[in-house]
Amino acid sequence: MKSNLANLRPLWTGLTVVAALAATGVLLRPFEQPAWVWVQARQPALRLDSIKGALGQGVTVGLLGGFRAIVADFFWLKTNSVWEDSDLPATQTFIKLVTAIDPRPLYFWQNGARMIAYDMPHWRIAAGGGYEAVPPAEQRRIDREQAEVALRYLHEAFVHHPDSPWIHIEIANIYINRLKDYGAGAEAYRNAALLPGAPFFPARIHAEMLRRLGRNAEAYAWLKSVYPTLPKEVNASKKITQFHVDSAMAPVFLERIRELEQELNIPKGDSFIP
Amino acid sequence: MRAAHHAVPFSLARLGIVAGNTFLEAVRQKLFGFLLLLAVALVASAQLFREFNFGSSELKFIADFGLGAMVFFGSTLTIAATAQLFFSEIENRTALTLLAKPVWRTEFIFGKFLGVFTVVGVFCALTTGLLVGLLYQRETALMAASPEAFAQGCLIHYGDLVLIGVLQWLKFGVLAAATLLIASFSNTNLYTVVMGFFVLVICHLQYLARDAYAQVASLPLRLLVQVLGYVFPNFQLFNVADQIGVGAALDPLVFVRVAAYALIYIGVFCGLAVYSFSRREI
Amino acid sequence: MTPAIAIRGLTKDFALTLRGVKLRAVDNLTLDVPAGQVFGLLGPNGSGKSTTIKIILGLLEPTAGECTVFGLPSRRVGSRLNVGYLPEAPYFYRYLSGLELVRFYGRICGVSGRRLRERAQEVIEWVGLGSAAHRRVGTYSKGMLQRIGLAQALVHDPRLIILDEPTAGVDPVGSAEISELILKLKKQGKTVLITSHLLAQIEDICDRVAILDRGKLILEGAVNDLVGLQNRQSLIVDSLPPAELQALRDWLAARGHALDAVEQPRTRLDQLFLSKVSRRQRGGESA
Repeated sequence: MKSNLANLRPLWTGLTVVAALAATGVLLRPFEQPAWVWVQARQPALRLDSIKGALGQGVTVGLLGGFRAIVADFFWLKTNSVWEDSDLPATQTFIKLVTAIDPRPLYFWQNGARMIAYDMPHWRIAAGGGYEAVPPAEQRRIDREQAEVALRYLHEAFVHHPDSPWIHIEIANIYINRLKDYGAGAEAYRNAALLPGAPFFPARIHAEMLRRLGRNAEAYAWLKSVYPTLPKEVNASKKITQFHVDSAMAPVFLERIRELEQELNIPKGDSFIP
Repeated sequence: MRAAHHAVPFSLARLGIVAGNTFLEAVRQKLFGFLLLLAVALVASAQLFREFNFGSSELKFIADFGLGAMVFFGSTLTIAATAQLFFSEIENRTALTLLAKPVWRTEFIFGKFLGVFTVVGVFCALTTGLLVGLLYQRETALMAASPEAFAQGCLIHYGDLVLIGVLQWLKFGVLAAATLLIASFSNTNLYTVVMGFFVLVICHLQYLARDAYAQVASLPLRLLVQVLGYVFPNFQLFNVADQIGVGAALDPLVFVRVAAYALIYIGVFCGLAVYSFSRREI
Repeated sequence: MTPAIAIRGLTKDFALTLRGVKLRAVDNLTLDVPAGQVFGLLGPNGSGKSTTIKIILGLLEPTAGECTVFGLPSRRVGSRLNVGYLPEAPYFYRYLSGLELVRFYGRICGVSGRRLRERAQEVIEWVGLGSAAHRRVGTYSKGMLQRIGLAQALVHDPRLIILDEPTAGVDPVGSAEISELILKLKKQGKTVLITSHLLAQIEDICDRVAILDRGKLILEGAVNDLVGLQNRQSLIVDSLPPAELQALRDWLAARGHALDAVEQPRTRLDQLFLSKVSRRQRGGESA
């Protein structure tokens, strides 16, 4: 009897090991869960169906295995190499692939949108025979089309970066530089300026756009409301550095306010007191 | 009877002697040789990113590739070194001589583990150090070139990078202990290495099983998937490296929790390796 | 007095397949190895010698029966405190020097500090490897490996030394040196258990032998009792001419004795070899 049991020993040992591991897994699960929730919250779900076709199986396993950042980086390098060749379909595909793999770095969204909105129109016009051959109306149509692709792309970014002023800034720049739509540009800059942690220049440019649109009163009211919030001197306890003070450019804000007071004929007694 | 005086208690000192000898073997067998290769590759790829003019995002690329290389080469080193350092004892029959001395098998297994863990620790320390140095050098240079990108101060959380290095080390510890468990019952080095990589992949994908088991239609398959989710540790837990170090910060509480998780698994795997090895006929 | 090793009804089966086909390597073995003697465990390959030794050392668990070392069950780690073991065809950590190797095993056995340094040096000198102590073990010849193996087995000054085929693969000079060392150990009062399938070598140094065949004990006793022919004697004289030889026969016959055989005595080939090969010269190998 004993020797029969001895024959089964490897099997027993194996079963014991598996059972012990399973028990460990069950017991540790409640302890592990909070950390896992934290880690998962920082890893947006992979929408594999949208990208599977573009990747080999090995890359897919790598992605699932947690090598997302590095796979995205790799495809970004690839994006750059097809961009250098002005290969529009490939560049567009890779831009979207990179952010599908890892939507977390803002850098990918910003630079992808710039490639779409600023570089691709040139490529399309060049493919149509250059700026001489393509009529201006057609050129504007191409600009508009590419800008719209870029704007749609940037709106996807909001899913992952709802609080990032930088996406709004990118949108604003496309409205202003590519579509000459100062109203939408002003609105996007305002959205950027209102977000926590935003840089100071969107607030200034928002007012500038309003002035350009002739909405001076609105610009004046806006600048007056923003000015008190600007850092004017270094304060270590509030973590205000010289860089913050310099980039806030409070004197420039004040200068614009004074200019607007003149343009709006604000009486001296009612002028803004900083 | 003199016999009564001859009880030999479990001894940490003996465990340490086995560990020290294991580490010495790794050093003298030049297991660290490829570290040099890795360092060269890292520095070279960092130079490559400069060509692309990524601006401050260059740091993200250096960090991603550096940590990626650390995870990849570290996993390979861990599995290969564990299997090699264990089977060199078995195949050369030095284990026979050693275990014929007053040595507990527990001391042998934990000693082997500690030796490998030290080897991997040196690897992680050197790689992290190299990466921190590389990032610091580039960040300083980029800061001087375009201060506006660094309005919020340094982009790299160097302290967090070190913590990530520690977490990777602990993960490699779990991997080493799991490989040791495989080695304790397997007959060949090759089988151990292959199974080790198999376990590595499963541990990385384990989260898919635990997240997806509810969607599996057939009951037996669902149970199997669920058991799989419990039997293997979750290596994705250590994947805090993504985005941390560059930009986002690591929650210290999460760090402590993940570290404790790793240490518990190391204990369990080594314990099971002792259990399996104590039944092994040498 | 407690025997150095006491084996009672020892049986060891190895499972060959999961279905239960077994190989019985040791079959109901009962044996005592008295303290202070050189004991030879003999038998052909596969007779169960190495399995028995592994059980004595706690490396294998017996299927049935028991084994004690100085009264302590061999499963217990503590039973190995008084045992030094030289495995068959030993192979040590190649990356250590001879001295490092001996110190490593010494530390494992709880020898430390100054005592370890002195003892390691002492056993290395004792096995004649003083000049090679700082060389990597990977560069040692087979004979040197046996000797460093002996040194590591002795470093913690055990009472029982187990040598598994210590002369296998070693040339006659090397074997003769090992035999000398074993006799020295006996003089120090150690118990030595030695296995071999080369019976002639063992015969000269063993007090007692046991012969195993297919796991069973077939013969056990003092060497002199086993191989000495009790009612026979041999006389060795210088050459006798035929006439004198005949006179001797007659002389013996008159007293009721018979001269059974007249032969040319031969020196043993290994002794011839040893007398021709300079040991001093060979010693240079280890330098």
